[in-house]
Amino acid sequence: MIFQADLCGYCGACASVCPLGIIELNGYKIEVLEGCNNCKNCIHICPLGAFQEAKKDEI
Amino acid sequence: MKYDVVVVGGRISGSIASLYASKQDVNVLMIEKNQEIGTPVQCAGGVTRSFFETLQMKPPQKLICSEIEGAILHAPDGEKFLTKNSLLQGYILERKMLDKALAIKSAEAGTDIMLKAQVKDLIIEKGQVKGVIVRHQGKLLEIPSKIVIGADGVESQVARMAGLHNGHNPQDLISCAQYEMVGLDIDPEILEFYFGFNKAPGGYVWIFPKGENRANVGLGVRYGANSAIYYLNKFISHLKGKIVELNVGGVPIGGPLKKTYSHGVLLTGDAAGHVDPVTGGGMHLSAVCSSLAGKIAAEAVINENLSSSYLSRYEKEWKKRIGKNLQRSLKYRALFDNMDDEELNSLIKFLNTNDFKSLSTLSILKLAREYPKLFLVLKNIL
Repeated sequence: MIFQADLCGYCGACASVCPLGIIELNGYKIEVLEGCNNCKNCIHICPLGAFQEAKKDEI
Repeated sequence: MKYDVVVVGGRISGSIASLYASKQDVNVLMIEKNQEIGTPVQCAGGVTRSFFETLQMKPPQKLICSEIEGAILHAPDGEKFLTKNSLLQGYILERKMLDKALAIKSAEAGTDIMLKAQVKDLIIEKGQVKGVIVRHQGKLLEIPSKIVIGADGVESQVARMAGLHNGHNPQDLISCAQYEMVGLDIDPEILEFYFGFNKAPGGYVWIFPKGENRANVGLGVRYGANSAIYYLNKFISHLKGKIVELNVGGVPIGGPLKKTYSHGVLLTGDAAGHVDPVTGGGMHLSAVCSSLAGKIAAEAVINENLSSSYLSRYEKEWKKRIGKNLQRSLKYRALFDNMDDEELNSLIKFLNTNDFKSLSTLSILKLAREYPKLFLVLKNIL
C-alpha cells in the first residue's frame, strides 16, 4: 500500500479499519508503521483516495 | 499529575463525558490530540432537539445556522417526497463551535484540558487500567487515573489498547466527504437527501442548509468503485455554489461494540459505535451515552469501586436508553442495504402516493414481512 500524505484529510478512517493497528493518526499527521499485510481496507475506506495499491515489487 | 478520570478525545463525546464527571467533584483531565477543539470537522452539523433536551441546555443561538422544518427525499429516478414530520425538526449547527462551547462548559466545571497530546498506551496493572501514557510537547508522560474514558472517535486507540475492539470491518464504515458551499439555491429550512447507486453507492447525498444560500453538501459511500470525493465532485458539478470548506471522515454504522466497558475503562461516542446505523447520526446518542459515562465514572471513583462489574452498569444503562433503537436501526439498515435503485424509486413513489400496490412487485415486501414495523415507522417518520 502506498500512502500519499498530500491527499490526506486527517480523518482517521484508515486507522479505524486497519486490522493490524499500524496506521496512527497523530494530530495532522498519519504514521504508517511497518508490517502492512496489504489487506486494502485503507484503500477502500479513504474518502480522499490517499491510499493506493502498491505494485508487486513495492509491497 | 494524577487524576480520578482521564477522558481521551475532546470532541462532543469527550466534552460531555468530562463535563458530567466534573459536575460530581472528581478530578478530570480531557486529552485531545489536535491543537484546537472541534477541527477538523467530521460532521454535517444536523441535530435533533432531543440533543439539547438530554443535556438540559438551551440551544446556544449563536451556534444555530438554521432551524429545520422538514426534508425532501430524492429517488434515483428524480421523484421527490417532501415531509415535515416533527421528528425531523431540529437544527443545523456550526459544529466546530459546538465542540468548543461544550469543552469550555466542561473546563468551567473543573476539567483540565491537555491539547496536542497523543495517547500512546494505557497503564495496566494486573488487568486493571490505571492511567494513560501520553506524548505531549516532546515528552512521554505517565498520567495515573482511576478511570479512563475512551471518547477518541471511530479510530479509537483506547478501544484497541483495552482489548475491546480490533478495528472496523470496512463494510461497517461509511466513507464520507462534504463541502460547505455558498451561493446555492436552497430552502434554508429543508434538508435534502439524494439516493442512487450512481450518486452515492451504499449511502446517500445530503444537503444540510446553513443559511439562505449556504449548506453542507456531502455524501457517504460504501462498495464504491471510487473514493467519496470522486462522487462528491461529480454531484456538485451541476450546482452553482462555491466551495468554502472540505470535511472528510469515516462513520461507524455497524452498531455498538459488543462490550463498551472493562476494568477501569468506558467507551463512548463513535469509539463505542454509538451511531444510528441508518442515518449515520450520532450527536443525540452521544448526549445520552457520554453523559452516562461521565456520571458513572465519577460515581465509581466516589464509591471506590473501579471493577468491571461496577462499570457494567454504564452499558446496562445506555442499552436501556438507546439499545432497542440501535438494534432496530441495524435491522433497517440491512433492509436498505438490499434495495436497488428500482426499489428505492418504488419506495419513494409509495411514500408519495401511500399506495401499497406500488410495492407489490418488490423484494422489500418479502423483507418487510420480517420487519412489519418498517412501514409503520416510515409512515410515522416521513
